[in-house]
Amino acid sequence: MRVLIQLRPSPDVVAAVADPGLTATAADVAGGLPGVVLDPSFTPVAVPRPVPPPDGDPLSLRRPVRFSFAAEDASVLVRGEISDDEASVRLALLPALRADVTGVFADPVIETTITCGGDPPVGDWHDVERLLAVEELAGAGLDGAGVPLAVLDTGINAAHVARHLGRDFTLDAGRSWNPAGVTGKPGAFEVGHGTMCAFDTLIAAPRATLIDVPVLLSQRPGGSAVDGLLSDAVAAFAHLRAVLEGQPEESRALVISNSWGSFSPRWDFPVGHPGNYSDNPAHPFNLIVASLDDAGADVLFAAGNCGRECRDGRCAFPDRPIVGANSHSRVLSVGGVDTGGERVGYSSQGPGRLDERKPDLCAYTHFSGSRAFGDDQPDSGTSAACPVAAGLVAAVRTRWPASRLSPAQLRTLLRRTAADRSTVGFDHDYGYGVVDTRGVLAALRRMSEA
Amino acid sequence: MRMVTVRLPDEATLERAMEELGLPEEEVDTGYGLVAIDPGRSLYGLRVTEAAARRMDRREGSGPYSDPPIEPYGPPR
Repeated sequence: MRVLIQLRPSPDVVAAVADPGLTATAADVAGGLPGVVLDPSFTPVAVPRPVPPPDGDPLSLRRPVRFSFAAEDASVLVRGEISDDEASVRLALLPALRADVTGVFADPVIETTITCGGDPPVGDWHDVERLLAVEELAGAGLDGAGVPLAVLDTGINAAHVARHLGRDFTLDAGRSWNPAGVTGKPGAFEVGHGTMCAFDTLIAAPRATLIDVPVLLSQRPGGSAVDGLLSDAVAAFAHLRAVLEGQPEESRALVISNSWGSFSPRWDFPVGHPGNYSDNPAHPFNLIVASLDDAGADVLFAAGNCGRECRDGRCAFPDRPIVGANSHSRVLSVGGVDTGGERVGYSSQGPGRLDERKPDLCAYTHFSGSRAFGDDQPDSGTSAACPVAAGLVAAVRTRWPASRLSPAQLRTLLRRTAADRSTVGFDHDYGYGVVDTRGVLAALRRMSEA
Repeated sequence: MRMVTVRLPDEATLERAMEELGLPEEEVDTGYGLVAIDPGRSLYGLRVTEAAARRMDRREGSGPYSDPPIEPYGPPR
């Protein structure tokens, strides 16, 4: 969290800050503030003190004031950063620990533009290819060849994906799976959200083998044509465990991309109830997610589209919108940045409900790609960011099966190599940063040589 | 319908689960069947009617659990 800290240092320091002919640094003014990373590039600013006339009405809100830069009156602002994990504690303790601290204030990002839903695409999928260094991945033999990548969504239209990719790809009908009541054939579903997700997985892993799991097309009582029920996802994950365990243990790999979640607490038990989903690691779906991770699957979830700047109108959680499995410690929760590297305004911010350190990282979204929603419509939402990241994971798995690099180790590697967007590591906007293929490749090279 | 869980260390079939939980067939979603949640810990899941779930509320650790709708996260509306 970026903050402005107001201090009242000794008068000679205030005088130095207020004098344009002198230079005072943040360290001169506020050195040694516990838990604060001072920004040395920010020149301390003197703030005048409003001083009322001595003979005025002391209770009047309208009395005239003058602003005094006198060394004994003025204060000084410095800029710094506090870890999101301990922001509330630091904010409360700083004035108590340091008598010269008179206030700590938020320093929000001010921007003229931030990408929101409804905005036109920012770049295209070839930009994403470049940003993900897909050529370098392929050069290292990491193109997803033979790696099963399950897209749990609304079903894939393979012809549409191939047409817009400009080439064929592999879809494994035999290992695909429909929830009961869904009758479409793998790869032959209507063009829509699942088709977009499938396209986006293939940017970084062009030779991955897609598994079509149209879990959001459930027709069970309580579902609708455009959503499913969590119990369908439980059944889908049980199927995927069989897919995983059907592979030889030494080469086992399965990437599971989930661009969906629960928007509202309305259908959930209250937090604290033993049957609750959003905050309860003992819910059967959260258990099966953990068991798939144990078995060697890489599970990725979109962080959601409930970012503060332009949240999706369906978002109904009053706070902490990364809920349930989307916030599980055993998954990679993926936020979204545009191709300019800026967080899109709808990308949900942490802390998560099961694990506070969410999202884990960000990947690219809001680019022109699959055209699943029309020629001028972007692949958008954290829905697109998640399969983009899943493609990178599948690419790594080409030569690094779970027996060689466990899902937990791969998550750590991706977090550690992500391009940090703050100065204190993890933050609740970007997580550990934006996925960085070159960092991943360098780390893998070091591991190979070790 | 609600989700409930059952531990079946020996024979993991829907019939065995119904017997363990004392449920007649008409209170169980047989189309959904019995799903392996964590077979290493002998934990399985099934869907039952609201009435059956209410009765099971008194059994420790077996649910009922919420089964909320899930929706695509995009495009943002």
